[in-house]
Amino acid sequence: MTEHSEESFEDCAQRDTGAESWLLEEARKMRWLLLGVVFLAALIGVLVVFQARLLASACHKVVMSGEGVASIMSFAGILILIAAGRSLCSYGMEVRSSAAAARIKQTVRSTLYRKIQSLGPAGLAGNETGSLIETVTKGVDELEHYFTRFIPQLFLAALLPLMFIIVIVPSEWRAGLMLLFSAPFIPLFMILIGRGSEKLHRRQWGRLSRMAGHLLDLLQGLPDLIIFGTAKKEATVVARVSEDYRIATMAVLRVAFLSAFALEFFATVGTAVVAVIIGFRLLGGNLTLQEGLFVLLMSPEFYLPLRNLGLSYHARMQGVAAAERIAPLLARPLPEGFAGTLPAPDGPPAVSFEAVSFRYGGNRGGVTGFDLELPPGSITALAGESGSGKTTLARLLAGLARPESGRILINGQDLTNLAPDSWRSRLAWVPQTPYFTSGTVRENLLLGRPDADENDIHDSLKAAAADQFIGRLPHGLDTVLGDRGAGLSGGELKRLALARAYVCHATLVILDEPTAGLDAENELLVCEALERLAHGRTVLVISHREQTLTRVDRVAEMIDGRIERVVSPSIFLTPWENPV
Amino acid sequence: MNQIIRFLKISRNQWRWMAAGIVLGVVVVIANTLLMAVSGWFIASMAVSGSSGAAFNYFFPSASIRFLAIARTVGRYAERLVTHEATFRILAELRVWLFKRFEPLAPACLERYADGDVAGRLRADVDALETLYLKFVAPLAVGIISIITGVAFLACFSLPSALSMLFFLTIAGIGLPLVISRISEQPGRQAAQLSAALRNKVTEGLQGVEELILLGAVDRQAAVVDDLSEKLVAAQERLGRINAFSLGGMVLLAGSGVVSVLVAATTQVAAHQIPPPNLVMLLLFSAALFEAAGLLPSALYLLPVARESASRIFELADAPVPVPDTPVSGAVPFDNGISFTNVSASYFPGVPVLHTISLTVPPGGCLVLTGPSGSGKSLIVEILLRFRTYEGNITVGGIEISDLAKDAVHDLIAAVPQRPHLFNGTIRDNVMLGNVLADEEQLHRALYDSGLDAWVASLPDGLATQVGINGSAVSGGEGRRIALARALLKNAPILLLDEPTEGLDAATEREVISRLQSRIRDAKETTMLIVSHRPACLTLGDSVIRL
Repeated sequence: MTEHSEESFEDCAQRDTGAESWLLEEARKMRWLLLGVVFLAALIGVLVVFQARLLASACHKVVMSGEGVASIMSFAGILILIAAGRSLCSYGMEVRSSAAAARIKQTVRSTLYRKIQSLGPAGLAGNETGSLIETVTKGVDELEHYFTRFIPQLFLAALLPLMFIIVIVPSEWRAGLMLLFSAPFIPLFMILIGRGSEKLHRRQWGRLSRMAGHLLDLLQGLPDLIIFGTAKKEATVVARVSEDYRIATMAVLRVAFLSAFALEFFATVGTAVVAVIIGFRLLGGNLTLQEGLFVLLMSPEFYLPLRNLGLSYHARMQGVAAAERIAPLLARPLPEGFAGTLPAPDGPPAVSFEAVSFRYGGNRGGVTGFDLELPPGSITALAGESGSGKTTLARLLAGLARPESGRILINGQDLTNLAPDSWRSRLAWVPQTPYFTSGTVRENLLLGRPDADENDIHDSLKAAAADQFIGRLPHGLDTVLGDRGAGLSGGELKRLALARAYVCHATLVILDEPTAGLDAENELLVCEALERLAHGRTVLVISHREQTLTRVDRVAEMIDGRIERVVSPSIFLTPWENPV
Repeated sequence: MNQIIRFLKISRNQWRWMAAGIVLGVVVVIANTLLMAVSGWFIASMAVSGSSGAAFNYFFPSASIRFLAIARTVGRYAERLVTHEATFRILAELRVWLFKRFEPLAPACLERYADGDVAGRLRADVDALETLYLKFVAPLAVGIISIITGVAFLACFSLPSALSMLFFLTIAGIGLPLVISRISEQPGRQAAQLSAALRNKVTEGLQGVEELILLGAVDRQAAVVDDLSEKLVAAQERLGRINAFSLGGMVLLAGSGVVSVLVAATTQVAAHQIPPPNLVMLLLFSAALFEAAGLLPSALYLLPVARESASRIFELADAPVPVPDTPVSGAVPFDNGISFTNVSASYFPGVPVLHTISLTVPPGGCLVLTGPSGSGKSLIVEILLRFRTYEGNITVGGIEISDLAKDAVHDLIAAVPQRPHLFNGTIRDNVMLGNVLADEEQLHRALYDSGLDAWVASLPDGLATQVGINGSAVSGGEGRRIALARALLKNAPILLLDEPTEGLDAATEREVISRLQSRIRDAKETTMLIVSHRPACLTLGDSVIRL
């Protein structure tokens, strides 16, 4: 386990440069907004200098010259104005940086989402949908602080200390030199300690999410734990896992906090040394209180940008981690083989698979040297164990992926030569879990053909045996469904999906397990709808359910990505004493 | 605040660590403010004695400066370690507490959290509760104690300065954050809703991308996502502007606070009420004290979110136990027969699912229950497991199951529930859960009888293969067979199987059923109740009831 996480860390480290340069490229696009942020911060720096000068002068007047309130009232007035100015600048700075962040997030998300969709499942092999969703939503949000915190701090850490040292040196060069020489130690120590702890840190985040998952895993599985009588025992496991986590994490934190310690140490001790130097120069009468106090007030300000840079290190890590997931997706080339131009044929097509292979790069669920004919207007069922490549085959026929070798002929024409849009408009596909969105039944029904008229809608609902349950809904077709079609049962959603396929006027229909998970009554309704849908169309249906198989012309049985046999349903369904 | 008090009660065993973290936090703030105060007083006094020629004992202040500088840095390091130590100790307490509270509630009360998306929210809620001390309790306590101590220190030297600082610190530390959290409430809620909506649309769009491509609806769906994203980003930007306002306000208040001290202390110096160098001391102390006020806003902004998370969790944990446990009694069933007499039950009160059902499974018999979905097949399994209440009589071996302790019932029964859970671990871990004492032979027998042997043998890692979170690395049919093997391994007198062959293809289903049949023949004394709508399963029973 440990070795594994080390490896994945090394991978991340290698990709680091790519992700960071992508981030900087994005920042360059926003350079005017970001420059505005830096300019305002520099303006704040100027105001800080004036504030320190005025405070020092006021103190000098009161302490050394013994003047009263009246003589410092003008100072007080200007100091209030400066405070107001600083406040306005900070406000403007924050507003600008959140505007920049908003624009970056919006463009990145929009580009990324469209890119992922156009890559399609064929181009995304190896990425889990869950992690893609996470990247598009939370991942993009996590870029924000890289641009609003880290990048401005990077500029300020270079700019402000230099600016401050220029005004300090004329007042008291010894203190100025002290600050100048202590400053480089801060980034140096931070880098030295940060390098070591970053590795530990990353591993720790991984461990944290594993541990958070552990409790959730146990809670979700509580019924099973109860059935097997181990629930009470697991409470001690929860305690032990949390305890192990605490010990391991604290060991890491003791090192990780050292970088902050080094930072604070140099900044605080530096300020203290400046105070002592100034004190003795004042005692010797070589310096006025006005100058001395000014330098003392400026020295914490000198270290502040460096400390802020240190604090924004976490923002950088978070941004880079998100960019490591986003940049490679954006850079990925679009899949090839989708540039055909010929129009798809009208009428039910004849389909012929010739030695088609597609292996995903892995072994499970691919097809190898696959041959099959689908005569025009026929219904063919594809049966076989799970993992034998049925769904892959359906996706190849739909043109969602291209064969690695071999070809698929449509009325004798290679599928890759057909224009993708034209082919898709002839096609209806009902996957295992059809797509439904929150919206009305009508919107969901007309996804593929928003311009269908009432007659088409009526016919399709009737054909799919969906008219009755829709008639019972409170607002009929205008009933609003929840997420993923919540509000309708599984069988009802299947029939609605069939109606959607029907309304499309497709000439080729592909159905993936239309009756899986349905009870007998719903299965019957769906099967009848299927027969009506098949009329005048070429149909490929993936199923191993008897009810469905009795209604097809031929059954093609797949084993391990190959056709085992193509037989009539009656032969396929002969009693199971027969060896298969 | 009730939720916060409740949280503190749960983690009260760690009060020493919590208190130590807060004390160290206060030490750090005080060391820092004193460092600035002493430095200011020191240089002002040095300047005065330098110009007047009077002697000044500089040994004490310069030593204090060095001491305070070190106290601040070391204290800060120690504070971070101690507060984190406290957080992790609290985390352990909370997790055990949560687990123990949820255990008797399963599964009925946790059904809301069965969905992956809601599980994510539970996780976020637990996270929020776990960091409550680090992000809310500690900074709030440190901020308030430091402000009070700091103002008291000022009052020892200059009452007017102390009062004016108290005014500005209260506005900066409490007034401003309260106003800010009030005005950010609405956009905050909006951002949370939009973020959830965006997540939903992205999930739909990516899961259904193939269908959307084929329907020619990809661009339309992407436009919906763009629109939501734009609204979300706008709400986040609004929150950013409110944050900007709060930062600007803090800067203005800090600047004004220092000016007020300058005027107040100067008045006193001019009236010879305080020595002149104290002016510099008071000014620098006040400027540094705003650091303490700066701790409060982020803690206070967190409060509404934390309170909401905490009340969601406490509400869940406080739910009444759906099926109260029975104290351990001496009653021992005399055989493995099951009998239902006029049993009625429901998932939700007022929506009856089972009406006066009566059925009997003789000891060693096997009954198959079939019927359309929604007819209450699975409910029968759940009431037998004492997961839900019932009316009427259910006896096992002549004893009413509600008179048996839950543990005693679970000793008698092994089950594959409707939605078995696979734990994130290896196949071996998941099967061995059924009986941790089983030997290799028993394990392999259970795998064989569930039709898993060939599949496991074909895996490169065999039994050590990880099943993934919620069994995501295995197919639905494989997961169900792992759950079946787990139930078979327990070798209990009664076996309940809810759709044991769901998700299997015909060939595998045939194999599993024929192996189960031979197992039933071998284990004559096991009473079995099988729930299924698959025709193939009907052959397993010696009687079939259609609901």
